[in-house]
Amino acid sequence: MSFNGIGFYTNKPGEIPVEVIAAYFIIALVVVFIFGKRTGGLKAFKTIDWVYIGIGAAAAYIWQFIIGAVAGGAIPSGLTNFIQIPFWGRIFIIFIVAGLVRKVGVGMISLFLFDLLSSLFHYGFSGEPMFFIYEALTYGLFIDLMIAFTGGKIFGLGLTKGPTYVNAISALEGAILGVLWSIPDPIFFYGFFDPFIYGAIVNWSRILFILVASIPGDVIVGILAGLSANRVGKAVQV
Amino acid sequence: MVNWAPLVPPVADQVISWLVFFFGLIGPIVIILGLIGIRGFMEITRFEKGESVLYKISPLTKLILVISTTIAVSLTIWWFGAILALIYLLLFLTLNNPGKKILYASFLTFSTSLGVVSSFSFYTPYYILTQAIGTDTLHVIWYWPSYFVYMGYQPGLTLEALYYGFQVAFRFIAPMLSGLLLIITTTPSDVLRYLEKVKFPLVFIFALTVAMRSIPRIFDTLDTIVKLQMMRGLGYGKPKALRPFYLLLGGLYGIVPTLIFLMRQAKYTAIAADTRGFNAMPKRTYMKPIVFNRLDYIAIGLTLLLYIITAILLIIGLGRGIPYIGF
Repeated sequence: MSFNGIGFYTNKPGEIPVEVIAAYFIIALVVVFIFGKRTGGLKAFKTIDWVYIGIGAAAAYIWQFIIGAVAGGAIPSGLTNFIQIPFWGRIFIIFIVAGLVRKVGVGMISLFLFDLLSSLFHYGFSGEPMFFIYEALTYGLFIDLMIAFTGGKIFGLGLTKGPTYVNAISALEGAILGVLWSIPDPIFFYGFFDPFIYGAIVNWSRILFILVASIPGDVIVGILAGLSANRVGKAVQV
Repeated sequence: MVNWAPLVPPVADQVISWLVFFFGLIGPIVIILGLIGIRGFMEITRFEKGESVLYKISPLTKLILVISTTIAVSLTIWWFGAILALIYLLLFLTLNNPGKKILYASFLTFSTSLGVVSSFSFYTPYYILTQAIGTDTLHVIWYWPSYFVYMGYQPGLTLEALYYGFQVAFRFIAPMLSGLLLIITTTPSDVLRYLEKVKFPLVFIFALTVAMRSIPRIFDTLDTIVKLQMMRGLGYGKPKALRPFYLLLGGLYGIVPTLIFLMRQAKYTAIAADTRGFNAMPKRTYMKPIVFNRLDYIAIGLTLLLYIITAILLIIGLGRGIPYIGF
């Protein structure tokens, strides 16, 4: 059985059981639904929020597939697990959009739109809707959980404390999100979606290596992105 | 392992290997930044008014063609994807300013193939290749110097590794070119009018319209910011050959100012939309009716033909000749 390039392989050696993945996404959807109820869902978004999301998704697309892809090409293959220029740009841009909108849902919607643009311009919807579900409910959801946890004051925006405290909070939240954003690619993609969609070989030593190798860079970029999101947020709101 | 590698004197093999290494590393950057440039990307990612055949086909038909192309290339052998890519490349000739467009699209195709093929075929382990191709016999066409293994290279480049690289590359190229043709020949609002008809939520359509309109504007703003940096002395007095790298550096420095510039203007877009009653009603009305003409039926016929060819290729054993099994 195959649909839109998805092979539905569920029995590859080492593949995370489909039940575990299904359970995660069901729980994630319940969390989204609860947050949606509490925060007013999509109706809470103003027109300007949709404009921010649109521009952010376009910028993330350009970075990931054009500027970052070119810059990343100069990194020798052995180092690409440590230095992920295309992905780092996405962290930067999506964090900035999250700082501007600061409403639960911005992460998932931004990632959804980013995927839609990637499909329109690059992948031609191959493997969809799996990537919409995967990226929105992992990377996007992590951002939204942080917004919910900080009461809409992500990256220190909206706090009335001194600049040192605000910068420390922006950096800390960026670092936490950096760690969280390191998880989906190795665990969810290489552990499940890659074999599920394409029938890829699962190699857990490689998955753990990618996870460990990507955390330091993602944390550093997460810190810088958190601080930048704070700065851009202030600059735009002037 | 079958040795098909040519006999080359010891020093020459080192030189050739390093040339290939640097070409794989720098080639795509030079092509993208030196030959296409930021303006070139703008040219092939924005809508332009025109009268040719592609403008007369409805956006929904074109969207169906993009998705069908993706399905076809993901199911069939790499050279079928390459043929489709060539057909889409030739369709750039029907657009305005065809020479420039086909040149930019060709450079993009070449740099994407070069980048993907070299990054997959040089590094994919032999055990992955044997499983992907279903054979124990690999034909080595070039032996790298032994120390290349420390850079993650396999000891030798095999014919099967090249096939594997092409299989992965052509999964992207034909859909990418068909997507670009869709974007160049269709206004964002036309694409979105049809998306609304298939019950896509209005607010997402609005954000997607903003995103599609923003892509050329981002290139435009980034181009201005990079030029301003050049005027302030970035790369001044450096050899001309290094210009693409300074362009790249300027692009990296320019991303935050570009975002600030565009995000600060976002409020005017929002005000403009609000003053036209955006989202005041759950549904919107349209001035232009959605119609299908004779060309749409021909295009749908060609799409069906694409599926028939795909089915034939699958039946005769050329379906996903070398599956991408992930490396």
